[in-house]
Amino acid sequence: MTEDRFEKLLGPYLLGELSVEEERELEGHLEECSRCRGELARARQTHDLLQELAAGGPPPELKDRVMARARGQSPARARGGWRLWVTAAALLVIAVLGGGLLWTITKDSSEGIPLAAKAPTSEGGGELSGEVEEGNLQIELVVWGLPELRKDEYYELWYAREDGGRISCGTFRAEPEGQTTVNLTAPASAVSYPEIEVTREPDDGDPDSSGEKILVGDLQSL
Amino acid sequence: MFGPVVRALEDEELIRRVAEGDDQALSELYNRYSRPVYATGIRLLGDAHLAEELVQDAFMSVWRAAGSFDPGRASFTTWLYRITRNRAVDLNRRRQVRPFSAGEEPLRNVSGGPEPEGGVDGWDVARALSLIPDEHREVLTLAYFEGLSQREISRRIGVPLGTIKSRTTAALKRLHRSLVDPAAEESRHD
Repeated sequence: MTEDRFEKLLGPYLLGELSVEEERELEGHLEECSRCRGELARARQTHDLLQELAAGGPPPELKDRVMARARGQSPARARGGWRLWVTAAALLVIAVLGGGLLWTITKDSSEGIPLAAKAPTSEGGGELSGEVEEGNLQIELVVWGLPELRKDEYYELWYAREDGGRISCGTFRAEPEGQTTVNLTAPASAVSYPEIEVTREPDDGDPDSSGEKILVGDLQSL
Repeated sequence: MFGPVVRALEDEELIRRVAEGDDQALSELYNRYSRPVYATGIRLLGDAHLAEELVQDAFMSVWRAAGSFDPGRASFTTWLYRITRNRAVDLNRRRQVRPFSAGEEPLRNVSGGPEPEGGVDGWDVARALSLIPDEHREVLTLAYFEGLSQREISRRIGVPLGTIKSRTTAALKRLHRSLVDPAAEESRHD
C-alpha cells in the first residue's frame, strides 16, 4: 500500500470501519511515518468534535413538530395577519355593543397562532386559527402529540388574562396519533384575553380550570 | 433529507429563502443547527425538556423573523445564537414564575456560542460544516449524525466504497481547516 493510500484510510480508521487486515497495515505504517501520524492527530480532533456534537442532539421527532408548526403559518404573513384579525375582532366587539352589526373575517386574512408545549410534559403542539362570525369567534384548533388522557379526563381551550380571568372556548379529546382538528366557539370578547391555553381537566364537575397547562399561545408575541 | 440544491446552499441564502416561506430551507437550517441550539439549552437551562422547548422556540423565531435578518450586520450563526440565548432567558424567566421542581436550576452562566471566549464548541463545528463542500458535508453528516457505516453510505448515495472512504478522510481534513481558519473557507464562497 502506498503512503497516499494509507492517508486516505485515516477517516474510516477513526470510525472503526477498516478490515482487520487494513487496520494492521495502517498501524504498522503509522509507527514509521510521522507525517501520517500528524494527519491522524488532526483528523482525530475533528472526529472527536463531530462525535461530541452528534451525541448532544435533540430527539429526532422534535424536527417533525417544528416543521409542522412552521408549515401551519407563513413567515411573511403571520404577524400582520393576526394583528389584522385582532384589530378586526376588537372592532367587532365595539360594533356589536354599539349597534348589533355583524362582521365576518375570512380565513384568508388570518394565520394560525402556534401553541407551544409546556414543561414538564413538553409534549405536543398546536395551531389555532379562526374567524369572527355572527358575534362569535369560530375557532379551528389543530393539535398533535398531546399526552394521552385517562378516560375521566378531557382537554379544554381557554382565553386567559394575567389576572387569572379565563373564558372557556370548549372541551375536546385528542387522538394519540397524528393530528386532531376541533372546531370550537367563543364569545367575541375573548379577543381581549391575551393568552391562549389548553389545559388537561379532570371530569369532576368543576367548571374552573385545573391550571394544568399543556399548550400555551400568546397573541401578543406575534 | 432534501435534494442537493438546498443542501449545497450557504446559511445566508437559506435564511433568505426561509423569509420567502421555503420550509425546505428551514429544514436544512434545522439539520445544520438544531444540535448546537439544543446543546446550548442543556448548558444554560440544565433541563432536557426545556432544551427541546428552546429548540422549538428558536426555530419558530427563525421562521417568523427571517425577513429581519441582515447579513451585513452578523452571520447567520451569530444571529441564531442571539435568538437562542434570548429565548433561553425567556424560558428561564417563565420557569422561575413556577415553584422549583426537582432538577430545575437558575440559568447557568456559561461561555460559548459563535463568538466564544475560548475553545471550539458545537456552534463552531456546525458553522464550519456549513462552509465545506456539499459532498464532504454529506459523508460526515451520514456517518456521524445518522450513524451510517461507510458501506451504507456507499449504497445510499451510489458512490463506490473506496471513494467514500477517501472522501471521509478528505472531509475530516477540510473540516479541520475550516475550523482552524473559517475566514479562509468563507472567502472561497465569495
